[in-house]
Amino acid sequence: MNRQKDFYPDYLIEILLVIFLIVELIVTLALLYPPAIGRQIDFSTPFSPRPEWYFLWLYQLIRYFPGSRIVIGTTVIPLTAVLVLILIPFIDKGKLGRLKVVIVGVLLLLSIVILTSIAVLIP
Amino acid sequence: MGKFFEWLDRNFRIKKPHRRFLYRSIPEGVNYFFCLGGIAFALFILLFISGMMLAIYYVPSENEAFASILRIDNEVRFGWFIRSFHKWSANLFIVAIVLHTIRVFVYKAYRHPRELNWIAGSLILILAFASGFTGYLLPWDQKAYWATEVGTTMARTVPLLGPYLCYFLRGGQDVTGATLIRFYVIHVLYIPLFMCLLLWAHFHLVKHQGVKGGL
Repeated sequence: MNRQKDFYPDYLIEILLVIFLIVELIVTLALLYPPAIGRQIDFSTPFSPRPEWYFLWLYQLIRYFPGSRIVIGTTVIPLTAVLVLILIPFIDKGKLGRLKVVIVGVLLLLSIVILTSIAVLIP
Repeated sequence: MGKFFEWLDRNFRIKKPHRRFLYRSIPEGVNYFFCLGGIAFALFILLFISGMMLAIYYVPSENEAFASILRIDNEVRFGWFIRSFHKWSANLFIVAIVLHTIRVFVYKAYRHPRELNWIAGSLILILAFASGFTGYLLPWDQKAYWATEVGTTMARTVPLLGPYLCYFLRGGQDVTGATLIRFYVIHVLYIPLFMCLLLWAHFHLVKHQGVKGGL
């Protein structure tokens, strides 16, 4: 089919269908797995809770830098990661640009995935 | 009905730009992965609506926050469902944004002239994480409290600015009711406001630069 697609109605109907399915997915998950109600705050018994799954990579990273080196885990590495993410269009310049960016991007994603997996598997 | 829209159009003049927006052509090579951005935006709207509902019953105070969560879950009709819906939408929102970022990366859609839009998208991603972090404290239970305690202690290790940053986040030396109100306002006012501005910029740039087609 060689016909040029328009946003309306071709694409709009497709995306609305996908969004409809996503809403169904959320409703199903929300009905089946409501969040548990926590316990009341007890200031006298501190415990170290696990963060949300999307912060687990950071949580795991900090474990590798105890003591005064913690600054590497809390500032240096996360800040570098964010800067690299933002600067991706500017790293992809010149002949080897795409190669550099793919290496950096894969490295970034892989390290986050691996750190998260370690945190999930070894509590 | 037609007359009403004509009257609206005479006043607002929205027909022409919207027609241009709706009837623009989509480049070749667009597939279902290109829906991820739209999915993320839909999730943002769902979060906004469910958040507006929760805000009616939630009380951001040291003494009443936890009780108001109990009330939402046990007494408010469908309150537990709205809270669950908000939580699940938030998780999927992060998933959708990350996958959308990967899609843009794979299709090289960040390249010139779309650098600025990549930056706007990155900031939206960071804001989504910040929203997750601030929202986590709001139930004001044991888990929320100590997670924020640990999270803000981490901010203290930042060189030079650390102590000030920690104090600024907590609104004092420790995590208290002052922190709760701070996080509540950041979560329901500051972040949604900046998010709307960034999303407007994001979509404006997409409209002007068009969708980058397939590989």
